Amino acid sequence: MDITETKHDQYSIFKLNGRLDSNTATGFEQKLFECIEDGTQRLILDFQDLDYISSAGLRVILKATKNLKSAEGKLVLCSMQDYVKEVFEISGFDSFLPIEATLDDAIKSV
Amino acid sequence: MGTLSFALKNRLSELDVLCDRLRQFCQASGVSKRQTFEINLALDELFTNIISHGFKDDDEHHVHVTCANQDDVLKITIEDDGIPFNPTAAPHPNLKCAFKDRDIGGLGIHLIRSYMDRIEYTRKAGKNVLVLTKTLRAV
Repeated sequence: MDITETKHDQYSIFKLNGRLDSNTATGFEQKLFECIEDGTQRLILDFQDLDYISSAGLRVILKATKNLKSAEGKLVLCSMQDYVKEVFEISGFDSFLPIEATLDDAIKSV
Repeated sequence: MGTLSFALKNRLSELDVLCDRLRQFCQASGVSKRQTFEINLALDELFTNIISHGFKDDDEHHVHVTCANQDDVLKITIEDDGIPFNPTAAPHPNLKCAFKDRDIGGLGIHLIRSYMDRIEYTRKAGKNVLVLTKTLRAV
């Protein structure tokens, strides 16, 4: 999986490309938490090119969301494939995570 | 009817092999991209569970997977020689609790239950044998 991080003044965007599973989740977790520990509190995860996610990926997203909420921060997801979105719905993650249709919408909401 | 059998070693990097084999099998059997994703996810969650919790030694083990498609009913058998574990008896996660109480425990098995029609577990000759069944829909 490739992860591209783009820093902006008020937020950072992580664009994921490939498969987020128990094999790749650790690397993703490290990158995400490096950014949070550097003081970024508003994050967007762009899933446009994400082909796959398992509960190992959901675990990292849950952990990051809890961390950011306790610091008044925010995590917004966007541009998911239908079948990826369904995994969030089945897991009940759509009840506490903002999932936007496009990156533009995510930037407005973050 | 198409069948495919393969073995995976007990390491997480084998998830890529699982994905490749499954993709080949599903393409040859005319399974849609979406259902291929669902089957891959169920097997991934199961395999990751086995690798993470199933083995108490540092030896190499093999997880055997057999996929069979008969009249658009897909039957997948997974066998491992790890410690006895019956996923069908695992508790259901609480998906409705307050956000602060949410945790990830049980979510993998919840996803397997959601995407498969039937899950049957037996412990046979020192092995966990799990049979997953999914009816394939035309798209």
